Amino acid sequence: MTESQTIKIAGDGDTIIRADGLQKTFGDTVAVRGLSFSVASGKVLGLLGPNGAGKTTTINMLTTLIPPDAGTASIAGFDLRTEARAVRQMIGLAGQTAAVDEKLTARENLRLFGRFYKIPKTELAARIEELITNFRMGSFADRPAGTYSGGERRRLDVVAALVADPPALFLDEPTTGLDPRSRHELWDAISRLASDGTAIVLTTQYLEEADKLADEIVLIDQGETVASGTPEQLKRSLEQEVLEIHLEPGDEFQRGLKIVGDRPGLVLDSDAGLIHIPVVGGAASSLAVLRRLDDAGVALLDFQLRSPTLDDVFMALTTERASGETDRGATT
Amino acid sequence: MTATTIGEATRNRETLTNPPLLRRFRDAAQDTATVTWRDMLRTARQPEMLTFAVIMGVFFLLLFNYVFGGAIGAGAGVDYIQYVVPGVLVITALQGAQQTGTGLASDISEGVTNRFRSLPISQGAVISGRTLADSIRNLIGLVLVAIVGLLMGFRFASLGGAIGAILLAVGVGYAFSWLGAAIGAKVRNPEMVGMLSMFWLFPLMLASSAFTPTSSMPGWLRGFANHQPISVATDAVRGLTDGSDAGGDVLYALAWIALMLIVFVPLASRLYSKP
Repeated sequence: MTESQTIKIAGDGDTIIRADGLQKTFGDTVAVRGLSFSVASGKVLGLLGPNGAGKTTTINMLTTLIPPDAGTASIAGFDLRTEARAVRQMIGLAGQTAAVDEKLTARENLRLFGRFYKIPKTELAARIEELITNFRMGSFADRPAGTYSGGERRRLDVVAALVADPPALFLDEPTTGLDPRSRHELWDAISRLASDGTAIVLTTQYLEEADKLADEIVLIDQGETVASGTPEQLKRSLEQEVLEIHLEPGDEFQRGLKIVGDRPGLVLDSDAGLIHIPVVGGAASSLAVLRRLDDAGVALLDFQLRSPTLDDVFMALTTERASGETDRGATT
Repeated sequence: MTATTIGEATRNRETLTNPPLLRRFRDAAQDTATVTWRDMLRTARQPEMLTFAVIMGVFFLLLFNYVFGGAIGAGAGVDYIQYVVPGVLVITALQGAQQTGTGLASDISEGVTNRFRSLPISQGAVISGRTLADSIRNLIGLVLVAIVGLLMGFRFASLGGAIGAILLAVGVGYAFSWLGAAIGAKVRNPEMVGMLSMFWLFPLMLASSAFTPTSSMPGWLRGFANHQPISVATDAVRGLTDGSDAGGDVLYALAWIALMLIVFVPLASRLYSKP
């Protein structure tokens, strides 16, 4: 694979994926509004936001599935609008938007996509075996994809995007619906790909996943960037901590809630009796809340003051749509 | 593993961005072959599609020959099995063509074509490969239906006529495959495509010379029935099977095929290319 260096010079500097002012409108709705970011070789960018924030629309634009209304983007130096075909040679797409053929086995699916990339026959055969070994797909590689478990299916989804070893990889919610074990396996695989030099854009519902994998996070809401930076920067930028109060679910919970009052960023779990209160000023302001609960005779089961997680950043910076519809991960 | 593209290693930036015409043509042909391979593999994996088409053909043969055949044959003054087999061949090809639309629609609705769209391929190949694969499947189905016809007493006048008849039926099926593809690319819901196909399939099938001579139809219908593609194709196939002078009918049928391709190839491609 030494001669393949000819392509690499196509990128400008180390940047593989560059989006500049991307915009997309569907009817009256602006799905994506002037989105800009760049991803260097070997880096993972986590694209986060509530449902309908424009994550998938962004992925669809960057993978040439839909044209942007305004703005530009390039992949490995190729312009998205004018050099779409070359862009397609440089990208792999996996996730909820791109499926595999369910009637074909993993081997056949990989051969199908490899042939589309015009990979010579013997090279392709070797590549497929390499992928099947590296991603431990041997046990199911010769069964039709329609018979796969969720984890096997997702693995094939991602691996199908890797046949041509593309410099840019787009993963649209690659681990949604996976059990924890399969999720961790896929995380390891994604980390390996990044350390091998692939530039990756990842959307996810699981903030823990973004925290673990992403070098940089772009948090979008209603098509606009509301925050960006490393996971650490984002958490620090909140300048607040979280007071978690645990009450007996039911009447006691409702009573406590009334005393805490309506505050921005409040997160409730009435079944578990949990109230998460963002507090600025740490101990002193927490104590004030606790004292008021105590004065009212509300019995606390437990409480703790903790550093903010990405979940808290997410809740603080994005708007809530219809209740229960936010992309709040199952990570708490 | 390096983060570069394996297959394209030998292509430089210029050929990637703007490939020469010959290369483009070769790539498109290769992509079509790949899609055909994929669709044939699917047929092999789920032979119901082929069996269904053959069973429908045999069903029509039995129904028309043994149930209606006596009455129709007496009225038309022909040996009915000789009359009906060419019609059934054309109808069987149409049944096969109808599956192009449902197949394409289910690819689109399942998201397979989204992955295809993100790949460096000639997007037209997705349909041209599928119509080709469906025609190959049709060819197999038609040979099987013809064999059942032979068992029921049907005879081809010559081997050349037999080959010509079956190929012409496949050709008509190919043209209708593109109509199916246009519907599939527009509607994108396999069940809906299946239902919509009945709207073109049944009128064309019944108001035709496939099962009954058009001479018994009322005048206003006869004009349509004599010149619509199914009748024209059936008359041509009939001419080829019984060894009568079929030249004019065959040319007329080929003209229909050409016209349908001129209309539906660009239409299907354009409808498919919409995101």
